[in-house]
Amino acid sequence: MAGRNIAKKSEGRIKEPKGNSLRISYLRDFYFSGLDRKWNNEFTCWGLGTEWDVIYDEIYFYIVPETYPFLQTFRSGYRQAARTVPIPDGFWDKSIAERRAIFNREVILNHLPQEILPGDLIAGARFNLQTSRCFTEAEAAERDGMVLGKKGARKQIKWFHNHGYGNAGATAGHLVPGHERALTLGWAGISKELDDLYDALSDKDKTGPKGAQLKAMKIAAQVPAELAARYAEACRNAAAAETNKTRRAELEQMAANLEVVPEKPPETFWQAVQALWLNHMLIMADENYPGPGVSFGRIDQYLYPYWEKSRAEGMSADEGKEILKCFWIHCNTAYDAMIRVGGNQGITAGFGQLITLSGLGAGGADMTNDLTYAILDVIDDLSPILEPKPNVRLHRNSPEKLLDRVVEMVGESQGAPFLLNFDERSMAGMLREAKLAGLEKYINEDNVHEYAPVGCLENTMVGNDRSGTVDINLNLYKAVELALTGGRDMHRFVDPFTGKKDKLGQDGPETGPAVHFTAFSQFWEAYAEQTRYIIRRAVETYELSESVRARFSPTPYLSCLVKGCAESGRDITAGGAEISLVTIEAVTFATTVDSLLAIKYLVFDKKLCTMAELMEALLDNWEGHDKLAAFAKNRPPKYGRDDDEADGMADRVMDLWTEATWKQKTKSTDRKMRPGMLSWNYWISDGFILPASPNGRPRGQFLSNAICPSNGADINGPTANANSVGKALGGKSKNGDWNEYVNKLPNGASHTITFNPSILRDGEHRDKFKAFLRGYAENGGTALQINMLDPDMLREAQRRPRDYRHLLVRVTGYNAYFSSIGRELQDEVIARVSHEGF
Amino acid sequence: MKEVKARVLEIMRMSTEDGPGIRTTVFLKGCTIDCAWCHNPESIDPKPQIQWIGNRCIGCKSCIEVCKQSALAALPSGIEIDRELCIGCGDCVEECPSTALELMGKSWGVEELVAETIKDRAYFSNSGGGITASGGEPTMQAEFVNRYFAGLKAEGIETALDTCGFNNREALEKAVEHADLILFDLKLIDPAEHRRFVGADNAKILENLIWLAGRLAETPEKRLWIRTPLIPDTTANEKNIAGIGEFIAANLDGVIERWELCTFNNLCRDKYSRLGREWAYADCRPLRRATVDRLVRVAGSTGVDPKIIVAGGATRIDEDSDGPGEGRPNLRLIKGCACD
Repeated sequence: MAGRNIAKKSEGRIKEPKGNSLRISYLRDFYFSGLDRKWNNEFTCWGLGTEWDVIYDEIYFYIVPETYPFLQTFRSGYRQAARTVPIPDGFWDKSIAERRAIFNREVILNHLPQEILPGDLIAGARFNLQTSRCFTEAEAAERDGMVLGKKGARKQIKWFHNHGYGNAGATAGHLVPGHERALTLGWAGISKELDDLYDALSDKDKTGPKGAQLKAMKIAAQVPAELAARYAEACRNAAAAETNKTRRAELEQMAANLEVVPEKPPETFWQAVQALWLNHMLIMADENYPGPGVSFGRIDQYLYPYWEKSRAEGMSADEGKEILKCFWIHCNTAYDAMIRVGGNQGITAGFGQLITLSGLGAGGADMTNDLTYAILDVIDDLSPILEPKPNVRLHRNSPEKLLDRVVEMVGESQGAPFLLNFDERSMAGMLREAKLAGLEKYINEDNVHEYAPVGCLENTMVGNDRSGTVDINLNLYKAVELALTGGRDMHRFVDPFTGKKDKLGQDGPETGPAVHFTAFSQFWEAYAEQTRYIIRRAVETYELSESVRARFSPTPYLSCLVKGCAESGRDITAGGAEISLVTIEAVTFATTVDSLLAIKYLVFDKKLCTMAELMEALLDNWEGHDKLAAFAKNRPPKYGRDDDEADGMADRVMDLWTEATWKQKTKSTDRKMRPGMLSWNYWISDGFILPASPNGRPRGQFLSNAICPSNGADINGPTANANSVGKALGGKSKNGDWNEYVNKLPNGASHTITFNPSILRDGEHRDKFKAFLRGYAENGGTALQINMLDPDMLREAQRRPRDYRHLLVRVTGYNAYFSSIGRELQDEVIARVSHEGF
Repeated sequence: MKEVKARVLEIMRMSTEDGPGIRTTVFLKGCTIDCAWCHNPESIDPKPQIQWIGNRCIGCKSCIEVCKQSALAALPSGIEIDRELCIGCGDCVEECPSTALELMGKSWGVEELVAETIKDRAYFSNSGGGITASGGEPTMQAEFVNRYFAGLKAEGIETALDTCGFNNREALEKAVEHADLILFDLKLIDPAEHRRFVGADNAKILENLIWLAGRLAETPEKRLWIRTPLIPDTTANEKNIAGIGEFIAANLDGVIERWELCTFNNLCRDKYSRLGREWAYADCRPLRRATVDRLVRVAGSTGVDPKIIVAGGATRIDEDSDGPGEGRPNLRLIKGCACD
């Protein structure tokens, strides 16, 4: 059939980079040549050469369950690979923080080469490091006890994950450092502040932990200027050897730039971008972790004065974009860290150095500017590209021009090359956080518009906030499982490596077997109690790594860039930031809501089965219970359809778990918990751990993703889907958190909607899509990822029609269930989607 | 006032093809005419109907046991509904665990339908959109449409009536009363062709349209769009489009805001098989872009302002001119056909 050929033909047409200079095309191609490159930025390891040296900080990876089987391998491997760095006299008399600062400084300045990539306009190439944690033998032993002991963090986190609760660990990054402040003050200014704070300490404090912390930060604060000097020298040397006059001039200008920044405030846009890059890359060096949600915040705002100045002084917009594009390439080299793992696998991973564009300013003003559009051009020219990840902030009064550009870029890619963040709902969440965590001093009506997302979409304040986004990832569904059994796992856990079975224990509170319940309210009470238990347990498990990090893993350089650390003399890892919270990211929200709705509908309202029959079906993973499974899957109300009964259950679940979350805090660092919804890839992988659920899902099938409805449940289209999400967050009310908006998840919630490409087929329809985005700002959630229906998904639906029975395709407004239209028409629709998709 | 209920076939949200902006379209069941190409054949019969969607069925046969009319049978090809016996009571739908059986034509009161359909208000108001009553033929339930639209207007929602124009004057008048926009279909200009493919004369439709034009001249805030479906080998020919254009130019000048040419879509083929009906256009394919462009040019040469002519809908994606044609309807399946 002709259509099929067309599908094949146009599928080759993925978005391609365009409008790039030879320099940028070269750098981009060079980057994507991956392992074939002569140069790369893979981890290099540096140690003390002691037997007890610890280099790999495994607790950073507790939120990546795929690494659990390799924790010991990495621990030993990095130590074996490490080159020994000589240490100065008096090293061991100092605090861990000072030792770390000294050690990292030594490696960065004197052991890593300073290299300039061909044609590059930004200096700062190698930063992926694994460096010694600088423990004494006694410290190493103490830490090993806390990490590897019988009740240690490693064992507990594995138990937590294996038993379906989720995962938890104090991880790196996930914040917006004070970049604007670092540019404005320069490191000279930051060092001066550190000196003043140190000098103001009492003599006792100077020799105590506060003094040690400030001394460590002072050492770290020297590194940017020292490193810039080394790179300036490298530029001068390269210039001397350069025969091309233009390039020689560039290299000389780069050297001149590095003699100003980042020590002193930038005088040009080029210098500002250079400073920003060095300041940023040294965070990744400090944390020994490549780009984990170390986010830039509102770069179109704080770089704008430099952009304007340089534009006035004669820099063309294209020259400005050329500088930005070099910066873009640098961000991607974070992925080189583990580039050898599975070929170029490193390049396909996702880290999340987020940038934020546009959004509200003071007094409700829209802050879109020329630089916003220039950066969107950069993204458009370079994409597909992975980093930095853009997030465009929209609000009720976002300008038409911005929406036009956004919609145009969505139309040209298979999905949006950025995430959309929605200001009103997001700010409502931040203000609620201020109230519930007693942070009004730092977050209030006057400054809440300064918020920015980190990582993927997690909203935080800027330059003074670490809210531990992604540190705790909790499967809310676990509480439904425990409510069914009365506090025990439904199945015994079998270790896939050893085949050893765990004993079934009374892990949760004894709420009694659900088979004895005679009303849904009893089930709800049991569920509520189990929910409070899993949240407690998550925080206890998290505490095991939080206390280790607070005691043993200071990051003095990063602490210089976060307000509160210097002032309190506490490292950011010890809770030094002015806003220091931990986020519980709930996974399986819709699976939980739909399961509760199914129990209510099947057992209590319609009496289609008894609780005992439902339990039996769940224990059998629905096998042999086809009719009941079909009832469970299809008949109960479901979240995501703008149906008030189902969304009412979503509201109850939301209130229950968020209220329980706000009551918890860490012991070692006194950080309060706040709620959010992000599921990374856990909703896929944990689907193989969590048992069959009452919403008709067998074990092995995906769970629901973040705040999205369960797969296929949103049969009333995108507006109904968005309305349900907005209602679940709290909707609107006379007593809203920000104006009428309510948002119970200050962190925000990940929401993805897949559209048919025909929605963008002409100007009239693009206008309708813009109107959808404006409507989403009124009714929807905090963040939206737009995907376009793609041929692969449709082909998958062809192969497995049962799993895609609700998949609606719209061909120019005409609706049809894809799985019911017959093979030939399906092929035609696939061809059409491929055709319109780009 | 006595409560009026409507038979609603479907409520479609984020509809982008039934008037301006983002809309919610309410498809009312029952039609006054029977177009051979109808894209919503399940909307024609005013009575509730059951349909069986094969790929959802798990084969439990609960429906057969529960049917008091013995209207259902399990055949190797699936569940067969005896349309003579079925009274559309919905017992089988209630019993079906997998929603393979669906009741088309649910009953809605005015207030509950208003409440359900204004949920997308935020999207309407940002796009100049609103709610469209379509069908079937909504004027068959004119009293309901009148009250429903009045309810929507009280909520500040824009309303649109999508009509085929084959209705008695009182019904049309009632349905139009609270409509902000009327989408009026002109399908075939030749009376004989119209009788043949639509099963009714077009004189009444044209009279209604002229009356409506007069009515709209008095209420300039009400808007009128004419819609012409482009059906292969039926309406999609130069003579027909020219004829319709000349009629518009002669009678609707100053009243009409837009003339939409809506292209044929073959996705509804499965609907016919679900209803156990054959479809004359089953083998037809979407029109070529070139054909549509040609017809737009013809439309623009009739005296109608070319700026108000819009062609919407799917066209063929393989544009090669030597490829297979658009196909012809199977004339034996068309009721008014001479070979009947």
